[in-house]
Amino acid sequence: MDSARRRSGLLSHLLDDERIRNRVLDAAAPAIMDGVRSLTWSQYVEQVAKAAGALVAAGVRPGDRVAIRLAKSIESFVMTHAVLRAGAVMVPVDPSAPDQLAAGVLADSAAAAFVTDASDATIADITDGLALRCIAVVGRDDVAPLNPSTNLLTRRDLSAAQPGELVEVDVSAPAYIIYTSGSTGRPKGIVHSHQSALSYATTAAGLYELTPRDRLANIAALHFDQSTFELYSAPLAGSSVVVVPDPILRFPASLTALLASQQVTVVYSVPSLFRQIADRGALDDRDLTRLRWVLFGGESYPPRQLATLMNLLPETRFSNVYGPAEVNQCMVHHVASAPIGDEAVPIGTAWPAATVTVVDPDDVTTPAEPGTAGVLIVRTPTMMTGYWNRPDLTAASVLERPDGQGGSQRWYVTGDLVVEREDGELEFLGRLDNQVKVRGHRIELEAVDDALGDVDGVRSGVAVVRRVASGDDTVVALVVPTRPEVETGGESHGFANGVIAELRRRLPHAAVPAEVVLVDDLPRTGTGKIDRRAAQRLLDSPRDAVRDRMGNP
Amino acid sequence: MTVPPVGAGTESSAATDGNFAGRLIGFISSTVAPDGAEIVADTDLLLTGLVDSLGVVMIVEWIEADRNITIDAADVVLEHFQSVDAIVAFLGTK
Repeated sequence: MDSARRRSGLLSHLLDDERIRNRVLDAAAPAIMDGVRSLTWSQYVEQVAKAAGALVAAGVRPGDRVAIRLAKSIESFVMTHAVLRAGAVMVPVDPSAPDQLAAGVLADSAAAAFVTDASDATIADITDGLALRCIAVVGRDDVAPLNPSTNLLTRRDLSAAQPGELVEVDVSAPAYIIYTSGSTGRPKGIVHSHQSALSYATTAAGLYELTPRDRLANIAALHFDQSTFELYSAPLAGSSVVVVPDPILRFPASLTALLASQQVTVVYSVPSLFRQIADRGALDDRDLTRLRWVLFGGESYPPRQLATLMNLLPETRFSNVYGPAEVNQCMVHHVASAPIGDEAVPIGTAWPAATVTVVDPDDVTTPAEPGTAGVLIVRTPTMMTGYWNRPDLTAASVLERPDGQGGSQRWYVTGDLVVEREDGELEFLGRLDNQVKVRGHRIELEAVDDALGDVDGVRSGVAVVRRVASGDDTVVALVVPTRPEVETGGESHGFANGVIAELRRRLPHAAVPAEVVLVDDLPRTGTGKIDRRAAQRLLDSPRDAVRDRMGNP
Repeated sequence: MTVPPVGAGTESSAATDGNFAGRLIGFISSTVAPDGAEIVADTDLLLTGLVDSLGVVMIVEWIEADRNITIDAADVVLEHFQSVDAIVAFLGTK
């Protein structure tokens, strides 16, 4: 009993043999599957232990950073838990990102090991000039010879190793580091401890009522923190995971077929994916009666689009999940019924683990006036320990406030503008950085994005700013029309004017774009969100925007 | 690049129509896939990252316009769009 209590605070304990046996209904039942293959709980635990043993034998030590660049797969889950079992720190790398960016993450985190399914050429490209103790290649055995000082593990080594003992580390030690592109372009690593990650996993499992009967779809890749729900909350509750392979995400009708055939009960993803499911998911032909909860987050869901999906899935609950990666999740809004009209979906109220408050954007030590826009700050055990090796950025994001008993509390300053509605729920207005002034009026670019998303004939759109020397900035909308021929055909002028006319009905005068530029695609970040900074850069050369097809999954 | 000549074609069935496959390959090469990508009839359009989700929509719309048909949303699934060969086979069953 004593040892069981001691062994309760680490992510690696989630897939520890004795504990998982008590939690799941049947150790021989599927724990993780992808529609083709599956592992039982026993096999999952065994593969994690063997891979962990191989990593330790190849020189991975507690606290080492281990970069993982894997396509979303059963292996991406096995290797994540293997790294944690070895006491090391998991550093996911976006598998669709350019090699140079991946190399930057390995260098910045000073990774000791690299786990990947990439080709020999890509491995060489990413690891060039780095002193790695170990490279583990998942899924194949024919790997080109490496630098002799680097230990190589192939598929055979990972599956044939002696199972590794669980390596205990302190609960406050780093468990994973997720990199985001900083505003200067230099990536910054968000460090979560075992404690903060487990706090998230426990609160999420409780709030969304996970049980061993649940099956969670995994749609986010490892570098997108939505995946922590499936990585950690699922084994905590004994729920199984259905990994959705990336090619299937390009076919909404295949995705819904997989959700139906695998009897998925909970899906967590971004609104742009759910919009595709509503538009092209062939929901009339799919039996999704087992799907009990849809969680959406990462960007706002235009209310009309949300209503469309909710009406297609009348038995399913819907919740808006909010939280920057620095705190993972901190707020939730349970959508009671399909929205009517254009009122934004709120981000809700603090979830059970967090306390939130709204402060004056010009003086974060002062609370915002009720009903006025302010900056959201959060106090929560799910908060990051800081940015990796960037005490300056960490200090700038943390606010120490008096706790009323002579001490102080750490609050995370989100930089997100919110306003409290009359019913007490918070509404997201936009990033403080995205607030622009047009003729003296403060405009949140996100409000323009949301309005664009609901205009007929618009597939997607993003608002950017045309800055002029006189200081009289204007809002410009980059728009992808639903019908590509609009862009090249003679109707483009009329279409753009129609969009502006529609936005006049929905937005305050100053926020209506002065100009609509038609493009055939918008740049996206590695997590599938529209990349406003890249879009801003493309504003002056929309011709390049047409050719520069960046990262759309 | 192995794009067969583009022709007007008076085909009746996609499955037996070389021009259709050629035109489709030409469309994917010129408009959907990244510049310089080599595409032939059995190229895996999905695993190699040639065609993203928007690309799938563009291909569906091109086929619908070219053949003057409507493709049911339930038929736009991975198995039918894995390669140009697969698309031709799928259309041949319609």
